[in-house]
Amino acid sequence: MTSAHVWGAQVRDVLVASGVEPREARRLTDEFLAEAQTAGQDPAGLYGPAVSYASTIARTIRTTATRTSPLDPVRGRVVLRLSQVTKRYRRRLVLRGVDLTLRAGEVAAVVGANGSGKSTLLGICAGVVRATSGTVERTPRLGYAPQEHGVSPLLTAAEHFDLFGAVQGMSRRRSRSVGGQLSRQLGWAPRPGVIAGHLSGGTQQKLNVVLSQMNRPDLILLDEPYQGFDQDAYVDFWEQVFKWREAGAGVLVVTHLLHDVERVDHVLELPRAEES
Amino acid sequence: MRRQWLHGFLDLCLLSLLAEHRDYGVGLAERLSAAGFGEVPGGTLYPSLLRLEQQGLVLTTREPSASGPPRKYYELTAHGRATQAERAQAWGHFRAAVDAVTLSAQGVVVEGPS
Amino acid sequence: MLTVAVTGLRELSRRRVALLCVLVLPLVFYLVRIDVHWQAIRFLALGLGWAIATLALFSHVGARRLDQRLAVVGASPTALFFGRQLALVATGVPVAGMYFILVAATQDVPRLPAVGLLLTTTVLIAAPLGAVVSLVVPRELEGALALLSVMALQLLVDPDDTAARILPLWSTRELSAYAIEAVGSDHLQRGLVHFGLVLAMCVLTGWSASTVRLAPVKLPAPPVEADRTSAS
Repeated sequence: MTSAHVWGAQVRDVLVASGVEPREARRLTDEFLAEAQTAGQDPAGLYGPAVSYASTIARTIRTTATRTSPLDPVRGRVVLRLSQVTKRYRRRLVLRGVDLTLRAGEVAAVVGANGSGKSTLLGICAGVVRATSGTVERTPRLGYAPQEHGVSPLLTAAEHFDLFGAVQGMSRRRSRSVGGQLSRQLGWAPRPGVIAGHLSGGTQQKLNVVLSQMNRPDLILLDEPYQGFDQDAYVDFWEQVFKWREAGAGVLVVTHLLHDVERVDHVLELPRAEES
Repeated sequence: MRRQWLHGFLDLCLLSLLAEHRDYGVGLAERLSAAGFGEVPGGTLYPSLLRLEQQGLVLTTREPSASGPPRKYYELTAHGRATQAERAQAWGHFRAAVDAVTLSAQGVVVEGPS
Repeated sequence: MLTVAVTGLRELSRRRVALLCVLVLPLVFYLVRIDVHWQAIRFLALGLGWAIATLALFSHVGARRLDQRLAVVGASPTALFFGRQLALVATGVPVAGMYFILVAATQDVPRLPAVGLLLTTTVLIAAPLGAVVSLVVPRELEGALALLSVMALQLLVDPDDTAARILPLWSTRELSAYAIEAVGSDHLQRGLVHFGLVLAMCVLTGWSASTVRLAPVKLPAPPVEADRTSAS
């Protein structure tokens, strides 16, 4: 019987680490063990390896947790508009005449090879980089997750929540509560006392994405957020993007991988930068 | 490929089996196997059952059993019954369409979906 | 701003190696010259100043991207700059206090309070000085070398030379002279004036450069459109 308990303990741990409430995790695990007993089988034999079974269960809970609205989201007001945006670095013309109109409730994917100026475009949308020419109009309520260094390796996740929450005037407790809630939606329970530098690459990116969402923005800018994500996390991430869309935000994702082109509202392809 | 097809239709199959009569996990697995699906792994079956429960399509009760620990029985809710009817109808149309195309490729003339 | 300071403190507290250097380096400087006590105190203070300035440099450089990200979502560059400075000063002042006690215990100094004063002024200048260097030389290695050169000059140049007054920690030298030797209070005055000027300059430069760097491009909001009937 001890191997069953070991299996059960593993399942419970993975469920909790994926953001399931501990009491719920215990209840579910007990039920799985009981069912295995009924079937007269070893749990690992009936359900498969503990870790993969638990991740499947966690994902099932997450994806059915919110009711999906059957209606098309109403296309709202414009949250981002780029008109003939150009960016030149000395002799290199990185972006040429980019046009994009993104409304609340839409998802835009910016694709292109490395070096095609995707990150620069995102920087222009964020206000970090100034465009050489063209106009940029953008709502002030903004969330931004840059590709690198968006996270401080020496601070814990909770401390990040404190910082980003304080910008919005949230108290520490509220910041941590909001941060924790958003993390659970991505299937992750931040552990106290673990600094960001010690998190795996995929988990760091999850933190990155959560931080961009803390002020309930109208426009969310994400740069290649799933480098280091495994297949499950990739699927979760896109589920989250579409949930944000339903909640009424506009989302701009910069990527070089695009799985489901049909589900995205706009695809902007950037050609390789030219020498001029 | 069969496994992917099963993933798509497992929920419907479970709802349909439960529409006949309530059952517990092992029983459902046996009935699926008898119907010709072969061995459906627990790692696939139980998450589907969990999903149906979370969507409010089935509810569960525990019943003491003569041999061994109490069993968890699944049965359809009213919403579940309605959903099963809907999805079964959609499946009927879909199957007719697939048949029309595949059988005509084999040289058999079939009536199109009504 | 307070949150930035608190988080900044937490961040600093995790840089264990850097903190160790901050603590130990001035001690080493002090002990090396302990026999010549006017030099010992001066070296101690300059060592402390250098350590804090380097800590400030690394702290600001390391936080650049995070600060940029915070500024994009609405944090004020002022709060970011002064919050981090506050954390640095809050780290430096207790260390200065410890060294003050050390000096009080191991040296016989005519005007002891002045030693406390000069250690404090050194810390207060070192923090924004490190920030200024980080803004001028945005890389850690080059910035650290720049600070090293400044400190080396500070140690070597004859303080009575007029050129010495352009160095930021000249006030430390003046105040240490006031503390140790039986000189008049004009040293005190000159020292304090220099301190005030340098502090103001460093803080203003650091603050304005940081604002320029961090403040996001002002982008107008898209104009509200006339009533649309339904989703297209």
